Amino acid sequence: MDRLYFVGGLSWWVIGLIALGALAMIAYQFIGLRRRLGVRRAIPLTALRAIVYALLVFFLLSPGLVQTRVTKLRRPLNLLIDTSKSMSLPGPSGKSRLDTVKEKLTAGDDPLIRRLERDYDLRVYQFNTALAPVAPSAIAQLEATGKGTRLAELLTEAGRDAGANAAIMVVSDGIANGEGRTGGAAPQIPVIAVGAGDSKGYVDLRLADVTAPEFGFRGREFKVDLIVQAYGLAGKTVPLYFNRGKSLIATKDVKIDGDAFEQRVTLSYMPKEIGAQSFSVNVPVQPGEAIADNNHKEFKVEVRRDKLRVLTLSGSPAWNYRFLRMALKQDPFIDLVSFVFLRTPTDVVDVPDNQLSLIPFPIDEIFLEEIKNFDVVFLDDFSYRSYFNVMYLDRVRDFVRDGGGLAMLGGARSFDSGGYADSALRDVLPVELDGKGRYQMDTRARGVLTASGKAHPITRLVPDAQANEDAWKKLPPLKSLNQILRARGETLLQAAPEGASGGQPLLTVGRYGKGRTLALMSDDIWRWSFGAVGAKESPQSHLKLIRHAVRWLAQEPMFEQVQIQPVSGVRAPAEKSEFIIQVLNDDYTPAAHANLKVEVIGNEGEQIRLEAVEQAAGEYRAEFTPAKEGAYRIEAQADLGGKAIGRDNKNFTVAFPYAEAEDGRPRPELLKDIAEKSKGDFIPLAELNAASLARAAEKLDRLAPAEIVERREIPLWGTLTTFSIILVFLSLEWWFRRKWGLI
Amino acid sequence: MDRRAFLRLVSYGCLAAAGLAPRSIFAAQGQERQRPIQFTFAQLKYRGGDWNPHALAVGPLLEELMQRTSVEAATTRREVALNDPELFSYPFLYISGKYDFEPFTGEEVDTLRRFLSYGGFLLADDALGQPGYGFDQSFRREIKRIFPDKDFTRIPAGHPAMRSFYLLRKIGGARMVHPYVEGINVGPSTPVMYCQNDLGGAWEKDQLGNWVNQCTPGGEEQRRDAFHLGINLILYAMTENYKDDLIHVPFIRRRLAR
Repeated sequence: MDRLYFVGGLSWWVIGLIALGALAMIAYQFIGLRRRLGVRRAIPLTALRAIVYALLVFFLLSPGLVQTRVTKLRRPLNLLIDTSKSMSLPGPSGKSRLDTVKEKLTAGDDPLIRRLERDYDLRVYQFNTALAPVAPSAIAQLEATGKGTRLAELLTEAGRDAGANAAIMVVSDGIANGEGRTGGAAPQIPVIAVGAGDSKGYVDLRLADVTAPEFGFRGREFKVDLIVQAYGLAGKTVPLYFNRGKSLIATKDVKIDGDAFEQRVTLSYMPKEIGAQSFSVNVPVQPGEAIADNNHKEFKVEVRRDKLRVLTLSGSPAWNYRFLRMALKQDPFIDLVSFVFLRTPTDVVDVPDNQLSLIPFPIDEIFLEEIKNFDVVFLDDFSYRSYFNVMYLDRVRDFVRDGGGLAMLGGARSFDSGGYADSALRDVLPVELDGKGRYQMDTRARGVLTASGKAHPITRLVPDAQANEDAWKKLPPLKSLNQILRARGETLLQAAPEGASGGQPLLTVGRYGKGRTLALMSDDIWRWSFGAVGAKESPQSHLKLIRHAVRWLAQEPMFEQVQIQPVSGVRAPAEKSEFIIQVLNDDYTPAAHANLKVEVIGNEGEQIRLEAVEQAAGEYRAEFTPAKEGAYRIEAQADLGGKAIGRDNKNFTVAFPYAEAEDGRPRPELLKDIAEKSKGDFIPLAELNAASLARAAEKLDRLAPAEIVERREIPLWGTLTTFSIILVFLSLEWWFRRKWGLI
Repeated sequence: MDRRAFLRLVSYGCLAAAGLAPRSIFAAQGQERQRPIQFTFAQLKYRGGDWNPHALAVGPLLEELMQRTSVEAATTRREVALNDPELFSYPFLYISGKYDFEPFTGEEVDTLRRFLSYGGFLLADDALGQPGYGFDQSFRREIKRIFPDKDFTRIPAGHPAMRSFYLLRKIGGARMVHPYVEGINVGPSTPVMYCQNDLGGAWEKDQLGNWVNQCTPGGEEQRRDAFHLGINLILYAMTENYKDDLIHVPFIRRRLAR
C-alpha cells in the first residue's frame, strides 16, 4: 500500500505567499497574452505556465511516497488451565469442572486445542499456586489438586515474558485466593477468560468471615461475627449452633430467603472461667452440598481477667493504707475492694450504730465465698485475732495454694505481732515466723536492692539497671520495721540502717502451691510516695512498686517466668513451626538447664509432647509439624531442681494459606472483570467453540494485530523525473510561443 | 498520757495494790510507751496573725479519736512550718487563726501545692468566724495562689468526708457561721477542707478538763458535732474516698433512710 506524504521544507505561509505570487503572475500573463493572441491561444499558454508553477509549489512541500507491506504472524498465546482443588468440584452434569474443561479442549475430530495450536504460537500451562508448563497432548492427564489459586499473580507472571502482541487464555472457575484475590490491576496483555463451572446449579451452605476476639475477659460478654452464605438452598431454614468445647451455648435459626443468600450473624458469650477456651460454630450439611467442610468453624479465645481484683484488709486507718489505696485506685486495671477496720472491739462510740457509717465485716462471705474471685489479697497491718477465728485463715492458705496472690504488709498487727506464727499462713508466707518477732519503731533504714532485687520485675522501677539502683537510693528511709526469723523466699530488698549496705529482709517474695506471696516488713512505705514528693522527687517509685507487686502476685503474663515468644501468623499443615520459650529463675535471671515440658494440644484435645532444646541460657527451642488444619494451643511448664518455675500457653492456628475448599461457587464475574480490564474477552466454557475463538481472534487483531509491517519512503522532489516533467511543460510552452510568433 | 492509757494504768495500779497483777503488766507499760503511732496532728505555723488561737484544742480531739476509732494517734500535736523539712512526714495538716497573716513565699506556695496535690490534707479552721475578714481573707487569698484555677465549693452531705466514720447531718463548732464545710477538689479527692465555725474553740479544754469556750447557739450538741466533724476529717484524710466504695453504699443508704 502506497501513501503520499509531505516532509515540508518551508513554512506554510511562505509557500502560500509564493503560491499567491504565482497566481498573480499567471493572471498578468493571461491578460498580456489575450491582448496579443486572443483568448483561445492565451488559455493553453497560461495553463501550461500554471501547471509549471503548481508543480514548483507542490515540490516546495517536499512530497514523498510511503510504500507499506504487511505480513501476518502467529500470535503468541499462553493457555492457562486452572488445576486448583476447586476445579475438582462437580458441576450439574456430575463431572468435575476440570474434566469438563479437558473434554471441551480435547474432544472431537478437530479438537479446540489443535485449532489453537494452528492459529497461535501456543504455550500451555497448568496453574494453581504456581505456573507449570504442560504439553498440549498432556492436558487430558491434568488433575485438580492445587491447594490454592493465585489467579491474579499468575496472570501477571504469564504475561511478563509472553512476547509482543501476545495474549493469554485462562480457563478457570474464577475462585482466586492468592494475595490479589480480587483481581487487582489489569494484566498488561489481553486475557481471554473462559469461565468453567456453573453457579446456577451450585449448592452450598457456608460459614464465612468468622471474627472472634483473640482475648476475652472473664465476666464480660464478647461477640463473634460471622456470615452465613447459601447457594441453591432458597426457602430453607437451617439451625446455627454455637458451642463451647462440646457444650452447646446457643442456637439460632437462619432463614434462607434467596438463592445467593448472605446474612451476617452475631453471637455472644460471657466467659466465666479464665484460660484458653475452644469454641465452634456449625450448620448441618445439606443434601447436594458441594463442600461440607465449610459448614464448621473453630476458634479459640484466651479468657483473661477483666481487671485484677484486689482485696485489702487494713487493721486501721493509716497512711500506708491511704497511699496504697491511691496507687491501686489510680490503676485502671485494678478493681479494689478494701476493708478498713475503723473501730476495734474496745473502742467506745458515743452515738447509736445507725449514726455510724461502719458496716459489718462480711467474714463468711469474704472467706468462704468471695475470696476465690480475687486475684490478690493484701493483709495490711491487719490481725485476725480481734475479728475472727484463725480457722478462716485456712481459706486464705487454700486461696494461695490454688493460685491466688497474698501480700502481707508490716505494722503492729502483722507477722509475729499479728499472731500469724500460729496460723495457717505461717507456711504460706515467704518469711519464717517464730512468734518472737517485734514491730520496731523509730528505726531509720533504707530499702537496698539485693542481687535478686536488681533483676526482679517488682523492684525494677526503671528498665536501666543503674538508673533503677539510683531510683532506690533516692527513696526516703523508713521508720518502722517488722522483725522476722528469716526469709524463706527471694529477698528483693533489705532494710539497711543509714550507712550500712545490708540488713534484715524488707521485701521478700515466694511461692506457695500455685500461688505467689509477698512480705513487706514495714508499714512505712507510704514515705516512698509522699516523702519523695517532699524531697521534690516523683511519687512514681511507690506507684510502680505497688503496681508491679500486684501484677506479679496475680501472675500476669508479662511477669511470667516462662514465656512462649509471641506466636503470630498462621502456620500451614506439614510445615515445621518453631517456638522459642524463655525461662527465668525466681530472681528473673535466665534459667539454664531447666526441665521444660512442652505440649501442643490440638483441636480434639490430643496432646503432642515436644522436645525443647536449650539454645542459649534460659532460651529453649521446640519444633512442631502440624498434620492438619485447626486451632492449637502450645503449653510450656518449667521446673528447676524439682521446684516449679512457671508456665505459659499460647494459641495458634494451622491452616493452608489458601482457603480453596472454603467457597466453591464459580466466580465468572471476576473472570469477566479481568477480561474487560485487559481489553480481552470472556467466553463461558459452554460457549467455547471455533466460532467464539474466531470472534476472540478478531477482537485481538483489532486491538493489536499480529503482523509485520514493512515501510519504504520515496522522495518525489529533487529527482530527474520531477525536473523532466517541469522541463516538458516549459518546452511545450516554448514550442507554442514560437509557433504563435511570440518568440 | 491518753485516756485509754490512764484507765489502764489506774486498773493495773489497783491490781498491783491487791497483789494480783501479773509481771507482764509492767512490761506492757514499757511497750505502751512504744505504742505504734499512725497519726500525728500537725498544725501549721505561719508568719503574722495568730497561728495558735486554741493551744489546748488538739488534745481533746485526739483523745476522742482514739477512744472512738482504731486510729493510734500521737497525743500531742506537732507544730510545723511550710519550710520544715519534716513537713511531708505529716500528711494531715491543720491551719487555724483569727487574723490576717502574711502571704506565703513563692517557695511555700509551691511546697503546699505539692503537699496537697500528692496525698496531703489541709484542714483550715477560722477561729474568728468573720467571712471576708482576718484569717478568712488571708486563707482564701493563699489558697487562690496555690490553686489559681479552683474555687471553694460547699461539701455536700453525700461527700465521703461526711460519712467517713459518723454519718454527719450537722456541722458543729464554737459558733455557727456556716452550716456547711467548704473544700477544694483536686481530682477525685478534696485535699482542702475549710470550716468557719471555729472547730478548735469547740474542742479546747483547759488543764483541768473544762471546756474553754461555749458553743453557741447549739450548746453541747453543737460541740459534739464539732468533734464528730474533726474525727471524720481525720479519717477522711487517712482513707480518702473509702466510704464511696460500692460495698459501703447500700449500708449507708439504709442507715440514712432511717
